[in-house]
Amino acid sequence: MALDMGAAPETLLSVRGLSVAAGDRPILTDISFDLAPRSILSVIGATGSGKTVLARALASWLSPPLRVTGGRILFRGRDLVADPAHARSLAGREIAYVGGNPAGALDPTMTVGAQLVEKLRAVRPDMSADDARKKAIRLLEAVHIPSAQRRFHEYPFQYSGGMMQRAMIVDALISDPALLIADNITQPLDVTVAAQILKLMRELNAQFSTAILFICSSLPVACDASDEVMVLHEGRVVERQTPAALVARPGHAYTRELIAELPTLWQGGENGASRATDRERRAIMSVRGLAKAYEVRARGQAGISRVQAVRNVDFDVFPGDNFGVVGESGCGKSSLMRLLTGLERPDAGSVFFEGENVGAASPKRLRELRRRFQLVLQDPYGCLPPQSPIGAILEEPLKIHRIGNAAERRDRARAVMAEVGLDDSLYRSLPTGLSAGQRQRLNVARAMILEPRLLIMDETLSALDQTEQGKLLDLFDKLQAQHGFTYIFISHDLTMVRRVCSRIAVMYLGETVEVAPNERLFFDPGHPYSRALLSAAPTLEERRYRPEDCLLEGEPPSPIDLPPGCAFASRCPHAFDRCRTENPALRARGGHALAACFLNPEPDIGLHETVTETPHV
Amino acid sequence: MFILRFLARRLGQGAIIIFLVSALIFTLLRVVPGDPVRLMVGGMAPDTLVEEIAAEMGLRDPIYVQFGRYMGKVLQGDLGESFVRPASGAAVGGASFDDATRGERAKVLDLIAETAPMTLQLAVLAMVFALMVGVPIGVWGGLYPGRLPDRLALYTSSLFVSLPNFWLGIVLALLLSVKLNLLPAIGYRGFSYTILPALVLAVEIAPFIIRTLTVSVAGVMGQTFIDIARVRGLSRNQIVFRHALKNSAVPLLNLLGVQFSMLLGGVLVIEFIFDYPGLGLLTINAVMQRDFPLIQGIAIVTAAVFVLINIAVDLLATAIDPRLDY
Ligand SMILES: Nc1ncnc2c1ncn2[C@@H]1O[C@H](COP(=O)(O)OP(=O)(O)O)[C@@H](O)[C@H]1O
Ligand code: SF4
Ligand SMILES: [Mg+2]
Repeated sequence: MALDMGAAPETLLSVRGLSVAAGDRPILTDISFDLAPRSILSVIGATGSGKTVLARALASWLSPPLRVTGGRILFRGRDLVADPAHARSLAGREIAYVGGNPAGALDPTMTVGAQLVEKLRAVRPDMSADDARKKAIRLLEAVHIPSAQRRFHEYPFQYSGGMMQRAMIVDALISDPALLIADNITQPLDVTVAAQILKLMRELNAQFSTAILFICSSLPVACDASDEVMVLHEGRVVERQTPAALVARPGHAYTRELIAELPTLWQGGENGASRATDRERRAIMSVRGLAKAYEVRARGQAGISRVQAVRNVDFDVFPGDNFGVVGESGCGKSSLMRLLTGLERPDAGSVFFEGENVGAASPKRLRELRRRFQLVLQDPYGCLPPQSPIGAILEEPLKIHRIGNAAERRDRARAVMAEVGLDDSLYRSLPTGLSAGQRQRLNVARAMILEPRLLIMDETLSALDQTEQGKLLDLFDKLQAQHGFTYIFISHDLTMVRRVCSRIAVMYLGETVEVAPNERLFFDPGHPYSRALLSAAPTLEERRYRPEDCLLEGEPPSPIDLPPGCAFASRCPHAFDRCRTENPALRARGGHALAACFLNPEPDIGLHETVTETPHV
Repeated sequence: MFILRFLARRLGQGAIIIFLVSALIFTLLRVVPGDPVRLMVGGMAPDTLVEEIAAEMGLRDPIYVQFGRYMGKVLQGDLGESFVRPASGAAVGGASFDDATRGERAKVLDLIAETAPMTLQLAVLAMVFALMVGVPIGVWGGLYPGRLPDRLALYTSSLFVSLPNFWLGIVLALLLSVKLNLLPAIGYRGFSYTILPALVLAVEIAPFIIRTLTVSVAGVMGQTFIDIARVRGLSRNQIVFRHALKNSAVPLLNLLGVQFSMLLGGVLVIEFIFDYPGLGLLTINAVMQRDFPLIQGIAIVTAAVFVLINIAVDLLATAIDPRLDY
């Protein structure tokens, strides 16, 4: 009998002195760590600290100019660096990889199911197509994809971002790998979906005994997810501890700083509540009973369906305010943004900007109005033209509005670059070389060059890590103090909203279900959906709302042909009969807070907020 | 259901296109100088006779009246009769002549029905040749952008583009047919007569195919799902043949649709050089003889083919890429 049978290898993965360089520039230096079977190890670090490069090195997926310059990656004792053929044979079979951008990860012309089967049979040729299909459907069910049987036959573009991420997890796990490398898989997801994915990952880890290397840029998420946390800083491992120990006794300066600067939801620290809203002045933007439906033709279905993207939206934004709009993806935030900026006309209701109805303005008037309210989009999806130099990008809005001559425009562009902290030497460079943070600065600069009064930020910061976000928020503060901007932040990130916004609207399925001052929303939310969002927000604090009580399963129902009654009724833990027949309107709860839920007491007629902020019927 | 609605909509649009094309051609033929009657009766005939015949044929009515009369017949499937060509069977059958200048004329529809299959055969063969050359070179070039295969693709297509087709036609005819006696060149007496003109046409089309494929394959190969397929455990062959090619197919399909429509519309120069009895030759002769009904008929049929090919291309494209909606 072989003696080594009983001696199960203690470590699955053992990295020794791994160094990676891009050309001559070292990216990873002397990385060493072990990963035991069935354990979850988180890796955190700032943007650019080398997390993705590490993930790709472990998956044997480095492409030039990146290359391993030293060290070993021992998987079950065999060195993957020295034996690329062996490494290739493990890819997708023993070592699986899930990335942070599920969009585009699968062939758009083939159904998700067909690709899962294709992948499984590529690494397990002995498996029959039928068995492969059954296994794929079983796993799709395991990751809580609703009606997996039907979804199996759908195309990637029919999946939402959260569902696609789950499908990619299925794709990684379908071959029963021993190691799963998950690079930033929750970053692009809504908090509620991210919380579900984390829960799912731990279940899968227990069920399929897969070891997981969980790479992430958010400390709370990393601590939440793993047995141990490893900190990467400038390409080196600087410490490794259990989550509790790491938070209690961080060993490295970077970790200490990260923990100190961690934005909090409930424990005080900097927050937007301190900002006094000037309710005496006229609202700069005032939204009343706004509604917009899109007509869509669902594939393989007769007739036209109406998607109610925005319904019953009401709120006021006062000058100098930081107004937040939060909600999960698909809840209508971006449609709302298009209505606010006049890119689309509402079906009903109105948007008043400084007393003028944007929804009814002529195209010419709209162009003039747009000088005074500007939109800042999130960049990762490429809203910067890659071929024009930064200076030209900035001067373009001035040209369009025929402001100044060439020299004046150039001076103005340079001044704005200085204000947002872009180096003057970048004036002639192309935006392709910019880091994510710099790109956001450029976006902001482009929006503010026309000296607007109101800036609408659509997910502007969601692609940045904590440190970069902090820097940009400070910049926004400074600009606000200098120019008297009013901001509307559209975001799915509650921590960010808590930190900067004075008043916050919560959207669910196109409706504003709650509009409340910062403090009130976080300490006394008036809607069960707001509580669910709070329970899912990543934080190291003692939670005020426990996920077990509040967290929702699944995803919001489709906004096509909504049933009558409260839109939240299908997921609400408190729903009762009335909720299914009657739709609750926004009602005042005192202290300028409004919520649309029957659980709140009927308001006294005459409270003065009901006059300023309830729908005109 | 959708497909029916799609077809109804596109056929409706097609009918409008065909109507507009006919109106345009009809008007242009009648406003530009050159009188078909003069050609018919000969240069020596007195002007009064020309006027008499023209009036009798309705050619002196206002254009919209003529057009109305013409479209009325077209709707009944009657494209009219050629001004100049005799019906092929007429002479043998001894049909009655009741007018010295106006004998039994060939039906336009018959003339087109005789020649269109010839052109179709030529077009299909040319397309097959072009694909046989273009697809391997184009795909190979797209897989290695900036490297040798890509440059080869570029050189090949530059070379093909720079060869004037009439010159190439003559050279190939001299070489393959006169010198080596491998292929027949002039006229048509069997399938082998199609090969030479098809080759010349293929050389003309292949650069477009090569260019489209290198660009679209290179674009697809740079996409995330191709890059990730490797770590998902798919083999190189699976990645290229099942995913990259399928995703590059839509631009190629659109190109083929346009090219094929152009080929069917008559490959004038080539058919003329090789004296190949297809639509192109028919068109050239019709134009030279100012045979209005024939020119109009060819225009209508060509427009209809163009519409149908486009519908087929769009249907195929949605079958390949479900994101494209009808
Ligand atoms: N393909 C590449 N070529 C050259 N440099 C790269 C490449 N990929 C990443 N880098 C560099 O490696 C460093 C680490 O990047 P990355 O691993 O993506 O960081 P993280 O994932 O921690 O944000 C960065 O400085 C980045 O510019
Ligand atoms: S109205 Fe009813 S269903 Fe809607 S949130 Fe309140 S309790 Fe839940
Ligand atoms: Mg990364």
